[in-house]
Amino acid sequence: MTFVATGLIPILALFVIFAFAPVGIVLWLSLRKYNQLAPVAPFIGLRNFEFAFTNDALFINALTVTLKYALVAVPLNLLIALPIAMGLNQVTRLRAVFRSAFFLPTVASAVAVSLIWRYVYEPQTGMLNAVLATLGLPQPSWLNDPATALWAILITAVWQDLGYNILILLAGLQTIPDDFYDAAKVDGAGAWPRFKDVTLPLLSRTLLFVSVLTMISYLQQFTYVQVMPSNPGGPINSTSTLVYYIYTKAFSNMQLGYASAVSVVLMVIILVITLIQFRLLRSRWEY
Amino acid sequence: MDETLTDRAPSREGIRIGEGILIVVFAVATVIFVMPLVMMFFSAFKPTAEILRVPPTLLPQAPTLDNFRTVLTEAPYGLWYRNSLVVAIAVTAMAVFTSSVGGYIFAKFEFPLKQPLFILILITLMIPFPVLLIPNYIIANRLGVLNSLLALVLPGMVSAFGIFLMRQFAAGIPRDLIEAARLDGASEWAIFGRIVLPLLRPALAALGVFTFLASWNDYLWPLVAINDLDKSTLPLALTFFNSTHATRYDLVMAAATMAVVPVLAVFLIFQRHIVKALVLAGMR
Repeated sequence: MTFVATGLIPILALFVIFAFAPVGIVLWLSLRKYNQLAPVAPFIGLRNFEFAFTNDALFINALTVTLKYALVAVPLNLLIALPIAMGLNQVTRLRAVFRSAFFLPTVASAVAVSLIWRYVYEPQTGMLNAVLATLGLPQPSWLNDPATALWAILITAVWQDLGYNILILLAGLQTIPDDFYDAAKVDGAGAWPRFKDVTLPLLSRTLLFVSVLTMISYLQQFTYVQVMPSNPGGPINSTSTLVYYIYTKAFSNMQLGYASAVSVVLMVIILVITLIQFRLLRSRWEY
Repeated sequence: MDETLTDRAPSREGIRIGEGILIVVFAVATVIFVMPLVMMFFSAFKPTAEILRVPPTLLPQAPTLDNFRTVLTEAPYGLWYRNSLVVAIAVTAMAVFTSSVGGYIFAKFEFPLKQPLFILILITLMIPFPVLLIPNYIIANRLGVLNSLLALVLPGMVSAFGIFLMRQFAAGIPRDLIEAARLDGASEWAIFGRIVLPLLRPALAALGVFTFLASWNDYLWPLVAINDLDKSTLPLALTFFNSTHATRYDLVMAAATMAVVPVLAVFLIFQRHIVKALVLAGMR
């Protein structure tokens, strides 16, 4: 019993200080007007939330950017990762080499990746426009153009994360027994029916796991958005995500109460999406 | 995970040609895919004039080590490197230790409030870190650790995911093994150190790799918690080169290369173990 106490109490204390208490504090602060320089934090009820949704165009913008980003990036990521994983599943030689190559960016720091891609996207001296020029294609100014900045960042994020999802999907594909494919072949099922009726349903648990995890991470994008564009928030705030907005509100404008309210909105979105996604996928592909 | 499934496709010429095509496609695709990293590496050796050339070159025409020299002498790069190592090693050691102790206790002991406590810890997994940014800043401020490496270590000392992972593994340890040691008069900490820890080793390695990478690459929390240049970690330091030398991509790429290449090299050397570890960690 003393072992349990001596082992567990310090751990629980750390959880209280850095996990439970913070949740309490962020909820508490979200109902207050708190400027870090002010000595008091008066209670203002839900007025932070009311202001955010009715009067704060920059918050609505950040919310829209975040949702747009996640809703495009998650399917894009999976639509690229799944065929690659399926291809790797068919390759026996060099599979580990290819898999490692796809995985390399995942290991690198997001800041380094942001800087590398900032250079790739440089309108004049960058690699991407050089390639586009030789192909005779138009050369956008990527991170400086509000129409392309968010998508340029999104491609960077997908590039960095792809390897992880390939890895998990490949592991999932390898758990599907060969018998299922053999049976489908005997029944005369072509490649598409085999994919639709065998791979997809049997991979549903893995797909669910990967899509929830990817969605949650894409709802919290910060590093690329903060490092890549030359002006804060990107051109016309087109890359200002919720986390970026929380960061600037809290640590540039010192509005800790208001930024806490925005944090609570983000927390609720993530919880709701997690639950919806679990529900949806579970009911459709139960086997 | 590599040796299975060789017998899925019946060995016919058509299949083998199909695999050959796939290999070629993958070879081309992976070369294009890793190109940004290759470009980072080569750019680090380019003189300033060459980095600004239009159109850009891939291979440095006149390779030079000047960029590395500048980064190492005109900025406290060595100190930043040391800071990153200290923080990542401390966080990893502490998280691995607390997770294995916690996981073992939740797997093998009965005590009041066990279930509710474990569920509370699991719930923290669903709360994204950015949501806790402001309260963690306030708490670190109250503890007087802001702007010190301690601020980067303290919140990382426990891991809900780690405790969960270790509990799964510790649950598989036979009870008889522990009971036998107890009958021999071994103390609980001795049992933990000599019997439980060695059996948890594969999972500990997984958690260690995971934790080290996350700490080494962390950006948002250090950005908020650290102000002074001499307390910075590498990710913060990289943006230093980005802002003070706005278009000096030669220096940025040299700094990034030194931060990234060792991690990539370690990954490639231990890739089999690390991949297994990450799948394990991901599969929960």
